[in-house]
Amino acid sequence: MPVDKDTMIEAIDVNKEYRRSGAIIRALADINLTIKSGEFILIQGPTGCGKSTLLNVLSGIDLPDSGKIIFDGENIARAQEARLSKLRRQKIGFVFQDFNLIPTLTAIENVAALLWPTVLREKEIENRAIAALRDVNLLERKDHYPVEMSGGEKQRCGLARAIIHRPRVILADEPTGNLDPESEKQVMDLLKQINKDMETTIIVVTHRGSLASYANKIVKMDKGAIVNIK
Amino acid sequence: MMVLRERKQFIVFCLMYTFLIFWTSYSIELVIKTPGLGLASTSFFMALSVGIFLSLLYAWLIVRRNSKTIATLKCIGWTNKDINSLISGFILFTTFMGFFIIIEVLFHYAAFFVYVNPSSPTVPLVNLLPVFVTFIIFLTFQILAILLANRKILKVRPIIALKRVGV
Repeated sequence: MPVDKDTMIEAIDVNKEYRRSGAIIRALADINLTIKSGEFILIQGPTGCGKSTLLNVLSGIDLPDSGKIIFDGENIARAQEARLSKLRRQKIGFVFQDFNLIPTLTAIENVAALLWPTVLREKEIENRAIAALRDVNLLERKDHYPVEMSGGEKQRCGLARAIIHRPRVILADEPTGNLDPESEKQVMDLLKQINKDMETTIIVVTHRGSLASYANKIVKMDKGAIVNIK
Repeated sequence: MMVLRERKQFIVFCLMYTFLIFWTSYSIELVIKTPGLGLASTSFFMALSVGIFLSLLYAWLIVRRNSKTIATLKCIGWTNKDINSLISGFILFTTFMGFFIIIEVLFHYAAFFVYVNPSSPTVPLVNLLPVFVTFIIFLTFQILAILLANRKILKVRPIIALKRVGV
């Protein structure tokens, strides 16, 4: 569908509204955004400006009220849940603000969990999980449970889970929101490294201006609209 | 593997199932031995009622307690079908463990009974037939529980895995 083959995600006239306590909140207002393959994008703006909603809509986690989301050539704005799940498993890696690791699984199991429902053999999944943990310098913690890891380690484990299937895009919602400055730098450096080495498109939602140096495109939002792209 | 790591919930429900399976089997045994005994029938129906209630409660609790995990799994690409299989495994594994414990206990009890009363012609406590009838009944309950869990899983939206919902 997209004209440009380098276009990874394209949002066309995307709108999204929420109803809260009887009031209608316009979370996304006529969003038009093109994200090219291999870009490192920061989406910034004040709390409640719609940046997380935009991330959710771009990944098919949430559906827009109107408009199109063209993801790698496919309009996912009206796709079925099963199709969206498949798309996320094949092409998208998620990094969450509060890590979202499964507390009853070890680091390696948390990373491998993404591939458990696939046809891959157990050994192959284990090898991939080990490789992903090595990529984020967390191999020595592979048998540790989330409760035994620091915030930075948990986020690196989350990052390993996001790259185990070599996705085309990594979406990170405030990935450093719960981290100290040192861990923040580690995580952002790793994201940059992944972007460079694997040519993965990275989209990071953050309210921290200090992360601007990592991005090659910054999208500023306010009141549900994009106010500036540079 | 995941069900065994949820130790507290697993052990509590496994023991409850074990007790219920024994109660139901014993009630069936009494009904067979003394068909006219109203107390045995009442006990049987009470055991069934508690059994179906607990099965549905377990299914509901598993989904409710793990809703964020389920949402995270959906975010990273698990389909509803994949998650249904996981939760069905939780439910069935707990029930099967209850049966294994009961069968093990009954065998040991029977062995001990025969050892101390070698001349007794009767089979002690509960025969295997009522236990297997109970097994079939409880499997039916678990199918209902799995259907309930599947409905609840469909309602878990991936968006709840993200900290801030909405704007």
